Amino acid sequence: MALLQISEPGQTPEPHQRKRAVGIDLGTTNSLVAAVRSGSAEAIAAEDGSVILPSAVHYGEDGIGVGAEARARAGEDPYNTMLSIKRLMGRGIGDVKSFGEQLPYRFADSDNDGGMPMIETAAGPVSPVQVSAEILRVLAQRGSEALGGELDGAVITVPAYFDDAQRQATKDAARLAGLHVLRLLNEPTAAAVAYGLDSEEEGGADRTIAVYDLGGGTFDISILRLSRGVFEVLSTGGDTALGGDDFDRTIASWIAGQAGLGSDLDVTTQRALLDRACTAKEALAREESVALEFGDWRGSLDRAGMAELLDSLIAKTLRACKRALRDAELGAEDIDEVVLVGGSTRTLRVRERVEDYFGRAPHADIDPDKVVAIGAARQADVLVGNKSGDDLLLLDVIPLSLGIETMGGLTEKLIARNTTIPVAKAQEFTTFKDGQTAMAVHVVQGERELVSDCRSLARFELRGIPPMTAGAAHIRVTFQVDADGLLSVSAMEKSSGVSADITVKPSYGLEDADITRMLQDSYTHAEEDMAARALREAQVEAERTLESLLVALRENGAELLDERELDALERGMEALRLAHNGGDADEIHRRIEALNELSEAFAQRRMDASIKRAMQGHSLDEFDQ
Amino acid sequence: MAQTYFEIFGLKPGFEVDRRALAERYRELQREFHPDKYASKSDREQLLAMQYAAQINEAHTTLRDPVQRAAYLLKLAGVEVSPEQTTSDAEFLMQQMMLRERLEDVRGEADPAAALDELADEVHGLYSGEQKHFAEVFVAGDLDAGKDSLLKLQFLSKLQKQVEELEEDLD
Repeated sequence: MALLQISEPGQTPEPHQRKRAVGIDLGTTNSLVAAVRSGSAEAIAAEDGSVILPSAVHYGEDGIGVGAEARARAGEDPYNTMLSIKRLMGRGIGDVKSFGEQLPYRFADSDNDGGMPMIETAAGPVSPVQVSAEILRVLAQRGSEALGGELDGAVITVPAYFDDAQRQATKDAARLAGLHVLRLLNEPTAAAVAYGLDSEEEGGADRTIAVYDLGGGTFDISILRLSRGVFEVLSTGGDTALGGDDFDRTIASWIAGQAGLGSDLDVTTQRALLDRACTAKEALAREESVALEFGDWRGSLDRAGMAELLDSLIAKTLRACKRALRDAELGAEDIDEVVLVGGSTRTLRVRERVEDYFGRAPHADIDPDKVVAIGAARQADVLVGNKSGDDLLLLDVIPLSLGIETMGGLTEKLIARNTTIPVAKAQEFTTFKDGQTAMAVHVVQGERELVSDCRSLARFELRGIPPMTAGAAHIRVTFQVDADGLLSVSAMEKSSGVSADITVKPSYGLEDADITRMLQDSYTHAEEDMAARALREAQVEAERTLESLLVALRENGAELLDERELDALERGMEALRLAHNGGDADEIHRRIEALNELSEAFAQRRMDASIKRAMQGHSLDEFDQ
Repeated sequence: MAQTYFEIFGLKPGFEVDRRALAERYRELQREFHPDKYASKSDREQLLAMQYAAQINEAHTTLRDPVQRAAYLLKLAGVEVSPEQTTSDAEFLMQQMMLRERLEDVRGEADPAAALDELADEVHGLYSGEQKHFAEVFVAGDLDAGKDSLLKLQFLSKLQKQVEELEEDLD
C-alpha cells in the first residue's frame, strides 16, 4: 500500500526565517552541543577548539568554573568540584548515600522531606539541578555564539532508562539555564537517528537495531525498529548506575590491592588511583599491555587481565540486553544492526563481547562520544520547524512501569514499561469514609510488587471532593505521560463533574516554588531583569500561538469555521497582537488564554479532519475479502 | 475523537485483525498526531496533540493484544468483565491447575528444557484454540459464551507469559 499524501501540519506554508536549535548531550563525564549548519549536523567547538566539555563544575570562593578548568581542580579541591553530577539527578538523600564513597561530597542535612540532596560548597549549598544548569549554560552560550543569536530551542538527551524524577530534574536544569526544551530525547534513540538517516539513503526494508550505549556512568540498551522513516522503540533496558567509571573503579581497586594499599584511602589517593586506572584502560584500547606504577609498586596489566577484571561488569550489560530483547519479543538473531555509543565502548573487551552476543560486528563509524549530540541536533532541527517533519518520526516508550500504592504497601501497575508514549490511563477511586473530601494518591515507578522496592515519584493530594457517603464518590484520576516521559495527573469526581484539586509533592524533585526561587537567584547573579525575561517569554508564546493559528486558518479555516467563528477568532488574534506590543506579561498570558478558549473547537475539528484524511482510501470493505 | 478504536484505524470491527494493516495505519496516524509534529506550535495545540496521540496509542495497544481486543469487543457490545470474575468451567479450571503444577515442576525434571518445550507447545495450542473459539462465538453473537471465553483467555495468556519467563530463566 502506498503511503498517503498528507499535507503536514508542521509545515509552514511560507518561507521562513531559519530558527536556531541545538542538540545537547548532557553526559555523566562529558557533555557537548551540536547543531545543523549548512545541512549537516556537527558538534560545536569552544573558542579553544575543544568540542568535549567535561561535565565538571567547580564552586570556589572566587566564582564558578565549568569544564576542563573545573576538572583540573578536582584533585586539589575535591569537595568543591562536582563530577558525575548526573548520577545524582532526580535522586534522593537515600540513594546518594549508596554513592557516598564514589562521590566525595559533603551533603547538607536536608530540612525538607522532599529529599533533594544539597551539596555544601565554598559558594554555598547547591543542588544537582543547579550544577547541571551551569553545564547547560556554557553549552547554550556556545550554541548561540555559533548560530549567531538567541536559541529558539534545544533537544536534550537523557538515558532511556531515566525515570520520571530524573527526567524532570533534567528539564528543570534546562529551565534554570534559560533553555526552551523542544524534547527530552533518549540517548540511544538519538544515536540511531544519527546513523539511521545516513543509512536510510540505501533505502529498503524494515530494520531492527540494537543500540548499546555504555557511557561513563550509565548503561542503556534499546531495541528499535526503523520502518519507512518511523523509528519505533520496541524496548529499552539498562542500568542508571553502571558505566566506564565502574571499570575505572574496578581497575583502581585492583591496583590498590596489588600495591598493598588498604581500603581506607583518602580522597586524593582515590582520585590518583582512578586517574591511573582510566589511563591504563584507554591505553589498552591501543596496546596489548601497559606498565603501571603506584607509589613504590611496579606492575603491568594486559588485555586478558583487564578482560578478566571487567567481564562481570560487561556480563551485567548483556543480561540487560537479553531482558530488552525479551520485552521486544525478539531474539539476538533478529537484530540487523548493532550501534555502539559512549566512550566506554572503545574498550576492546566490550566490543568483543557485544559482537559475540549479537553475532555481528557493531557499527562505530561515528565518533561514539559525538553520535548522541549529532542525532539530537538533527531532531532539534526538525522539531523547531526548519525541516518539514516528513522524514523521521520517533516513537518512544516509557522505560519503567508506573503504578500506584494500594492497600498493604502493594503496587498496582497502571502503565506497563515499554508502552509507547504519550499515554494516558484513567483509574477510578472511591472514598472510604462518609463525607470524605480529600484523598492521597502515591505514584511509584518500577517493576516490583512492593511499594518499598519501587521508586517513589510523587504524592498527589486530591481535594475538593464533594462530601458524600462512603463509596458514593467516584473519582476518576487520569495519569498522563507526555512525549518527554513526564507524568502529570488530573482528577474529576464523576457524578458531580467537580474536578478535584491536585497538589503534587515530588519525592525527589524540585517544587515549582523552588525553581522560581532559583531562577530569581540566577537572575540576580546575571544581573538580568526578571520582569524583562518574563515579558520576553510571554511574547514568544504569543508569537507561537499567533503563528500556528494563522497557519491553521490558512489551511482549513474556511472549510471548518463559519463566518461568526472566523470573526471571533480574528478579533481574539488582534487583541493578542495588541497585548504583545504592550509591555504587560500578565495581559499577554490572559489574551493567549482567551484566544486558546476561542480556538479550542477549531483545533479539535482540525484534528478530527486530519484523522478522516489520514484514513481516506481505507474503506471498510477493503478488508471484506 | 468520539470513535471506536476500530474506526480510528479504519478497520472492520471483529476479533480477526489484520496486524499488518493495523501496524501501517498506526504509523500513519502517529505521523499526523505525534507531539513532535507540534513541537513548535502553541501550548494548547501541543496538549491536544498529546491527548490524541495517547488515545491512538491506547487504541493500538488494545487492538494488538488478543485478550484486550476481546475485552474491548465485549465492552462495545455492552458486556463488562470485572477483574474479580472467573470462569465457572470446572474442567477448564482443573486443567489450568494441572498445567501450573507442571510448570512448577519443570525445574525438577531430568531434562527441564525439553519438559518446558512440551508444556509451551501445549499452552500455545490452548491459547490459540481459545482465540479461535472466541472469534466463533462472537461472530455468532453469543455474548455469554464470549465472556466465558475471555475469562479463559486471561488465564491462558497469563500462563503463556509465565512459561516465557521460565524459558528465559532456564537459558
